[in-house]
Amino acid sequence: MTGLARRLGRSGAVRTLGPFVPVVALWWLLAQLQVFPPAFFVGPDAVLAELGGLLERGILPGYLSDSLTRLWYGVLFGLGIGLPLGFLVGMSPVARRLTWPLLLFFQAVADIAWLPIVIVWFGFSLTAVTFVIVYTIVFPLVLSIVAGIEQVPPELVRAARSMGAGRIQVFTEVIVPGSLPSVASGVRTGLGYGWRALVAAEIIVGTSGIGFMMFDARRVGDVAEVFLGMIVLGILWYALDALLLAPFEHATVERWGLVRQSAAT
Amino acid sequence: MDAVRALQIENLHKTYVDAYSGDEVVAIGDVSFDVAEGEFVSVLGPSGCGKTTVLNIVAGFVEQTSGSVTVAGKPVSGPGPDRGVVFQNHALFPWKTVQGNVTFGLRMRGVAKAEREATAAEYLRLVGLTGFEQRYPHELSGGMQQRLGVARVLANEPAVMLMDEPFASIDAQTRRRLQEDLTRIFQEQRPTVFFVTHDVDEAVFLSDRVVVLSGRPSSVHEIVTVDLPRPRDWRTTGELPQFRALRNRITDLLAGDESHAVADPA
Repeated sequence: MTGLARRLGRSGAVRTLGPFVPVVALWWLLAQLQVFPPAFFVGPDAVLAELGGLLERGILPGYLSDSLTRLWYGVLFGLGIGLPLGFLVGMSPVARRLTWPLLLFFQAVADIAWLPIVIVWFGFSLTAVTFVIVYTIVFPLVLSIVAGIEQVPPELVRAARSMGAGRIQVFTEVIVPGSLPSVASGVRTGLGYGWRALVAAEIIVGTSGIGFMMFDARRVGDVAEVFLGMIVLGILWYALDALLLAPFEHATVERWGLVRQSAAT
Repeated sequence: MDAVRALQIENLHKTYVDAYSGDEVVAIGDVSFDVAEGEFVSVLGPSGCGKTTVLNIVAGFVEQTSGSVTVAGKPVSGPGPDRGVVFQNHALFPWKTVQGNVTFGLRMRGVAKAEREATAAEYLRLVGLTGFEQRYPHELSGGMQQRLGVARVLANEPAVMLMDEPFASIDAQTRRRLQEDLTRIFQEQRPTVFFVTHDVDEAVFLSDRVVVLSGRPSSVHEIVTVDLPRPRDWRTTGELPQFRALRNRITDLLAGDESHAVADPA
């Protein structure tokens, strides 16, 4: 490897964008060679032109902010319900016995499967979409909090108790920080599911948003816009995950993990 | 002895039901002994003899089937700050710094910040961890981690410090140094110590008395008084004829037990 290649390999931008280069090239080649009819498959140039047009007319920014607003409400309520519920179920054997079969049952009913009845109840509204996102976030979050609490070494609880910590202090000082890595990955998984559920809900319930935009474009046969929608979804989630969720999860897991290793030796 | 009894264990008995076979298992047959204030007592026995169970009952982690445990005149129920525990795997809080770990008990008991910091500094100096206040446990070696485990308990000034095979998971070289550190700390502070181990040399080197348990179901086989001079270190104490005599005697006591010991996977 030459010095230049090594330097490029270390650069964050190259590492992030590099893998996409061959994919885009292949995409461009397939479009250029007209392997598929142009009405079904457009090249990067067409999508780029579409992006310009949608930005100019303000449609994309508008839809984007609609989608993100919905996600925001969904996440807000999802965390607001999921976090306390998770710790309650994880801490109380009684709550656990009572709710565990229910949790597994409702987790198994796919989020999208709720849409028909949610539309009957709330109509084609923000409430309907939020309901589905909240639903999607809550269950994986609760399950990973419970798993996180189970992973807290019992000796840490014993140590805290034998130094004078009461039940509430054991919770705030040991259980919460001890389960944090698992909670962090639960939030990340939950948000990932929520994001997908949002797009699906917008396709079905949609009056606006990226999901709606894509499905509407399909109706009028604008393949470039469909492609654009898919790319926007990918970029947006990638950014959210890489900039916010992954570093947070990584930071907790790394510190905690190191300690578990050294404790095991 | 008419010294004040820091810890009194009377006719302790523990049975539990095996989760798989459903059989009733006797973990502790009948154990009685006591520890005077400022005394270092080791409990020694073959593996699986229930010595850790005795410690867990004293700590309040496990409830006895019958018998009584009294600490400073009060019967034990549940864990409490009067019985600080040093665990074999340290059980430090990984998300707290050295300072955060050593002040934990004081903070739980509502001691003011300035006093917490003064106490922390004192005990970190005692165990040789001054300058490491802002480090996290995983940045420390195994030996340093266990010294922090000791400082954390002593800073809380318990009526008795319970130590559950604290050096068992540490390499032989470091273990000897930690044993010397512990005996020096004991010399300086005179805490009351209840020490569980399966290492005869360790028990003799550290203790004022060694309680030798028989195999399961355990009972007190014999209590051996160790009147070796203090301060102790391995170089001199380890060479004393009395040290060897005590070690051999206790080894014989344990070996005599081996012949009719119950095979135990634990």
